[in-house]
Amino acid sequence: MPDQVSLYAPGNSGLHHLHPLTKLSLAGFALLAGLTLPGRWGTYLLVALFVLPLAAWGGLAGRLGNAVWRIVLPFAVSVFVIQGLFWTGGTPVLQLGPLSVKAEGISFAIASTGRILTVVTAFLLLILSTRPDALMIALTERGLPPTITYIVLATIQIVPRFQARAQTIMDAQQSRGLRLEGSLIQRGRALIPLVVPLVLGSIVDVEQRAMALEARGFSRPGPKTSYLQLVDSQWQSILRAALIVLSVLAVVGRLALLIIP
Amino acid sequence: MIELENVNYRYPASQQPALADITLQIKAGEFVAVVGANGAGKSTLLYALAGFVPHFYGGDFDGRLRVLGHDVAADGPASVVGQVGLVFQDPFNQISGARFTVREEIAFGLENLNVARAQMDERIDRALALAGLEGLGDRSPFALSGGQQQRLALASIVVMEPELLVLDEPTSQLDPVGTRQVFEALDRLTGERGTTIVIAEHKLEWVAAFADRVVVLDDGRIVEDAPPDQALVADETTRPGLGQTRYTRAGRLARQRGLIPADRPLPVTLSQAIEYFS
Repeated sequence: MPDQVSLYAPGNSGLHHLHPLTKLSLAGFALLAGLTLPGRWGTYLLVALFVLPLAAWGGLAGRLGNAVWRIVLPFAVSVFVIQGLFWTGGTPVLQLGPLSVKAEGISFAIASTGRILTVVTAFLLLILSTRPDALMIALTERGLPPTITYIVLATIQIVPRFQARAQTIMDAQQSRGLRLEGSLIQRGRALIPLVVPLVLGSIVDVEQRAMALEARGFSRPGPKTSYLQLVDSQWQSILRAALIVLSVLAVVGRLALLIIP
Repeated sequence: MIELENVNYRYPASQQPALADITLQIKAGEFVAVVGANGAGKSTLLYALAGFVPHFYGGDFDGRLRVLGHDVAADGPASVVGQVGLVFQDPFNQISGARFTVREEIAFGLENLNVARAQMDERIDRALALAGLEGLGDRSPFALSGGQQQRLALASIVVMEPELLVLDEPTSQLDPVGTRQVFEALDRLTGERGTTIVIAEHKLEWVAAFADRVVVLDDGRIVEDAPPDQALVADETTRPGLGQTRYTRAGRLARQRGLIPADRPLPVTLSQAIEYFS
């Protein structure tokens, strides 16, 4: 059983050592640039010239590629089929029996897939190269409530435990003769002895967990320190500011293009 | 340090009192064991000392309860956080879930108490050594065995250096070696730091060997409050569910068979047993 549901891939690269907010800014910039770049191919250039070099710097190009195609490919196939074949009007470029592939539909599918590719690669790279707790601590230092930080981080680690407990309950009930096969009604009935102990056990857990957190001063008001030390630098602060300005410019530029004919 | 006077408590929706007319004083630096059958009120008494009863559960509470000068029944656990440490029986639910290594998990309480980063490593190293977890600092807390997690729960509280340490069956998942480590660690805490220990425990051999006093609970009432060699020699017929140490059982058997004179005090520890049988 994995210890957590996080995709973080530990490493010692320059990308790994960047401050989490710098990586978040890079991902945010890629997201906004990807959504605002005009034309069909700009997003692919953005991935090739901006995201992929960062991934290579972090030694994460292989992992990124592995994860990206699983997410983007199903989307790309569906958008090409639906937009290519069912585009209203448009110029037919290929006849497939009663259906025809439209040039405008293909063009739209290329642009949509490029945008999704940019968003997915940018944020996957952020997740692959950044410890989730480091990112949440960085956000807490900028004002995010510690309760939200706790909920996000605890979920990452507790979900696998929850799955393991569900499996244990299922094994225990099956060993006592519970049948999980059969008609829909039989399967629905079999859910009760699985769900009830899982939910009741979790409620008891939550009570104890809340007490244990309280005993360790979690809800104590006032300032808190952090054991995990985040390394920041002046050049990273400047880079973050520059990325924010560029992101704003990208949005403003896109709006200007929409407004000015 | 701890004063309870005529404390009564009943959980919400319960007809039976969980604590009935409890009067108890515990001095600083004492090592006190609370024993009794399941449902006798051990955990409730411990939760009251840490401020969780009635604050967390609600219910009817009356009587006087002061811990380190605080009215914890009125002010709740927040009034004594850092001063009173509470270790629960189930180690899994004590892992915060928000930290990714054992060292970071132990640091969680220090972070909440706003302890300076510069002090943390030394305190974490001491806690790891005390709990016998050296070399496991960089592991995920969830990758530890149940016994290791139980010792992690202890280390996570000890690192906060509380004046009063309250432990609810902290060795339930430990093997004999792990249990010995925990009791020796607690003994060091009382000896070196003067930490007051109040522990609920079923393993009476260890209680007999390390506790200064044993408080026996039955149906929410204190029925005995005495040193181990007095409190733990009761016959099982008069204290059902409490049990006795293997040394007491052997001594009583030898006495019944006429092998040992009846006026010789029954043993509760190994050293007493050696003397008893020699």
